[in-house]
Amino acid sequence: MVIEKDDQYVLNHCTRFLARDGDERRHDFGQYEPGDPRAKVCEAWRYPIVDSYYDGQSVDASYPFNAVTFVYDGRAAPAQEVAVTGTFAELHGQTPLRPVLFLGEASGIHAVTIRVAKGQVHTYKLRVDGAWQVDPLNPQITELDNGRPWSRFFTEGCQIPLTFARRERELLGRLVSHLLPFRLPENERFIRGVYESLDRQSRESQFPLAYKLDEDVGVVNYIDKVVARAERHHLDDYRICLELIDDVLRSRNPGRDPLTLPRDAFADLYDEMATDQVAGWDTGRYGSPRFFLLLLRRHAMTGAFVHPRHGGNSGTAGWAYLHDRYPFDWAAAMEAPLGRNTDYRG
Amino acid sequence: MADEQREIVIIGSGAGGAPLAQTLVDAGHDVVMLEKGPLLRTQQQSPDGLSDFKRDELFATGAEKRLTVPGMANIGEAYFSSHVEPDLNDEPHVYRDTDGADRATIEGYTAQVVGGGTQLYGGVSLRFTPDDLRLQSFNAGRTDLRDDPNGEVEREARDWPVAYDELEPFYSEAERIVGLNGTRGNQEKPASVDHYQPPLEPNPISRFVATGMDALGMKRYRTPLAVITRDHEPSGRTVPADHESIKTAFVNRYGDPLGLKSNTWISILAPMSAKANFELRANCVVTHLESEGDRVTKVHYRDPAGGRRVLAATKAVVVACSAIESVRLLQLSGAADPGGFGERIQKSGRLGRYFLTHCFGGASAVLPERADKSKTLDSDWATDHCARGEFVRANGLWAGGAIYNNTSDAALPISLARTWQAQDMDNIWKGYLGDPSIVGNGFERYMDDNFGRRVSVSFMANQVAQPDNRIELHPTVRDKWGRPVAYVIKDWHSHDQALMDILADQCGEILRRGGEGVQFSGQGSVGGQVSRIANHVLGGARFGSDPKDSVLDPDCRAWEFQNLYVTDGAFMPTSGGANPTLTIQANSLRVGQALLGRL
Repeated sequence: MVIEKDDQYVLNHCTRFLARDGDERRHDFGQYEPGDPRAKVCEAWRYPIVDSYYDGQSVDASYPFNAVTFVYDGRAAPAQEVAVTGTFAELHGQTPLRPVLFLGEASGIHAVTIRVAKGQVHTYKLRVDGAWQVDPLNPQITELDNGRPWSRFFTEGCQIPLTFARRERELLGRLVSHLLPFRLPENERFIRGVYESLDRQSRESQFPLAYKLDEDVGVVNYIDKVVARAERHHLDDYRICLELIDDVLRSRNPGRDPLTLPRDAFADLYDEMATDQVAGWDTGRYGSPRFFLLLLRRHAMTGAFVHPRHGGNSGTAGWAYLHDRYPFDWAAAMEAPLGRNTDYRG
Repeated sequence: MADEQREIVIIGSGAGGAPLAQTLVDAGHDVVMLEKGPLLRTQQQSPDGLSDFKRDELFATGAEKRLTVPGMANIGEAYFSSHVEPDLNDEPHVYRDTDGADRATIEGYTAQVVGGGTQLYGGVSLRFTPDDLRLQSFNAGRTDLRDDPNGEVEREARDWPVAYDELEPFYSEAERIVGLNGTRGNQEKPASVDHYQPPLEPNPISRFVATGMDALGMKRYRTPLAVITRDHEPSGRTVPADHESIKTAFVNRYGDPLGLKSNTWISILAPMSAKANFELRANCVVTHLESEGDRVTKVHYRDPAGGRRVLAATKAVVVACSAIESVRLLQLSGAADPGGFGERIQKSGRLGRYFLTHCFGGASAVLPERADKSKTLDSDWATDHCARGEFVRANGLWAGGAIYNNTSDAALPISLARTWQAQDMDNIWKGYLGDPSIVGNGFERYMDDNFGRRVSVSFMANQVAQPDNRIELHPTVRDKWGRPVAYVIKDWHSHDQALMDILADQCGEILRRGGEGVQFSGQGSVGGQVSRIANHVLGGARFGSDPKDSVLDPDCRAWEFQNLYVTDGAFMPTSGGANPTLTIQANSLRVGQALLGRL
């Protein structure tokens, strides 16, 4: 379903990131292969633009959806016809992108906005003057079964694992649980209570798609999503360090799966990482365990209390925990039906 | 193709550009305004009923990025910016640090968006005092100034060429059209009219600040804030039926999706955006000005797609893109035409010099009671106690400042962590991450001790004007358009440090006298840190009555040009003892009147 967005909206989301002279690669923080032209673009991860959706009448009816805007930058090589197709479209139908105008003249930028359900992952391609290609802006590229590359995006509140394998997620869960207080017995009970008290209807209205109501309040999922998109440059930090931590714990506890180790094993590891001195850590593969710990702590804190659209704070359990302990009426400011503010639409 | 001709071109849509635009448009003149940033609308304005501003902590401080600007000593370091602050790799501001190394900084940038800094500011809208505008006279012949061995404070102080009485009607008009709430009594700033809307109930944490101020005999008033609490006739805005719902900690560093925060877009520009003689072009960055003799004739800019375009200005050009960027634009224009524009704009040798920010700092405490700080605006109580001439003289200071409490700081969970012991935008997250004890049980203790329990009191005071505090074009660093970036070279004067110590102690006293159970945490200031700017960028193109001593004449017109005006904070010869936005707005209205008389 195509949604009307005016050219002002598209340019607002393009100029700052795309308009520039020269070829400097100032936006490569380690996330790109050599020569990837996306390194010249500021925050290429923003494309396609995943934004809130409102049908003009009902916030409840609108809440399960996002407005996703596909952008093709044809300024360098002008295109006549641009279209998008993907798994979000019925029978892979093509949706044309329109030329975006400034002062009545073509800007060279093409765009279209499509309504897509929250919580989903999709693959797509652009057709530019007859030729299919992956989105030259979006860094998320995935290989489908036939080995062909497709562009990928995911919508808000997505709970489908995109980055980490099951074992990585479980290990990450153990690490994170030590950083945040949610595994303390009384808090564990509280969080479980939050999830149990979410009745079926509110689950469907707030979180329309199936997701794992886990005890890390969605932090692992937040990290899975943030390194898939906005902080892709930290993907390697996680991959390497999770492997190293697995190795360290195995060598310290022969014959035992690190996932089954008691809390103390992770507490000791944490203390060592904080001082940057971890016995058995292969610094040749990753120089500073402390650096990784700080990254993990920043992501854990953010993921626990972030707006659930970013994949963390699932079921608003992080906010509920604060509300239970402190006067913190988060729902007053937040959009209904997530919160109870009916002036602000999210 | 002939250049597009327009009467008046205004560069920048914030506090400096918008008020003057209103004066000119209302008088029927043809005005086009160029704004570098996007036009982010409120829900009511947006065709789809949604705003591009969100109540989402990741909008104020977004994803981590890493500095890659060649030659910077902080290359590789993490930085975080909001969705409307410039990208540091694309458009860095570079400052010279105390170790002599160059570093890029996010400090000193205002928002790049229609409405400029008024979209993200906390909305504190204080006037300056009459003495703030006459510090040369105030200090003439004094021998009691602290820590000023070379007599620079008295020598460099300047009276504004405009007295408070002349500015006063424009303050009143700015307060009317912008839309503020607050109280007038107990201010040291005389007002002819009271246009304040009623303030909302203070947050409970502010009670302790009121107690401390009262114990010290400091007369207090409700901090004037640019947030409407009642329907606002001049801008046609209405408020929700439940006025208390207006209070949200998504205020400082957040744009307002509901349009209740009185930024210049919603207050001033939007109401006239349908007029045929006004056009706002967002996402358009001006690269340089071109002149013929004593007239600026052309404004060169890049359109939203980066294409080169030119506007021919037949009557006037107004530069108002925040002090650092305005100075830089004038310097870049001079570099493009050294014998013409360059010679004229730099005739006094003062362009870029006497760059100012504020002496600022304060104190903080942990309170015995916990409050919901998420229901608040940016400040509740203010006092002009330390802005009074008696206080200033009794303490051997050259000037005073305003004191007010902060209520929205650390009010939301992620912001509590990322601003924890972080002194500025460059240090975000570092304090929290640097403390390894904030985990597990320690995390819970940390939240118990701090969440909803912290209060801080700030001062905002005059900084001594110094010729070597300056903005230059950086010799090597270029922005994404290949243009030299702004190079900020500044330091604090020894008298600044003395002033900051005294005012920080006053803030500390307020909290130490705040009542039983208040645990004083500490006090301090920005002294010693050259990068700190508070996003108050002022001076660099100061106005005055002597063409040899200033860049702009008393009407903020460049001395050697007939039709070039600068109306953001760059005009200030002294920085005033309060947040500068309202004064920039009032002055913009004043310059608008002067310009009207010449058209």
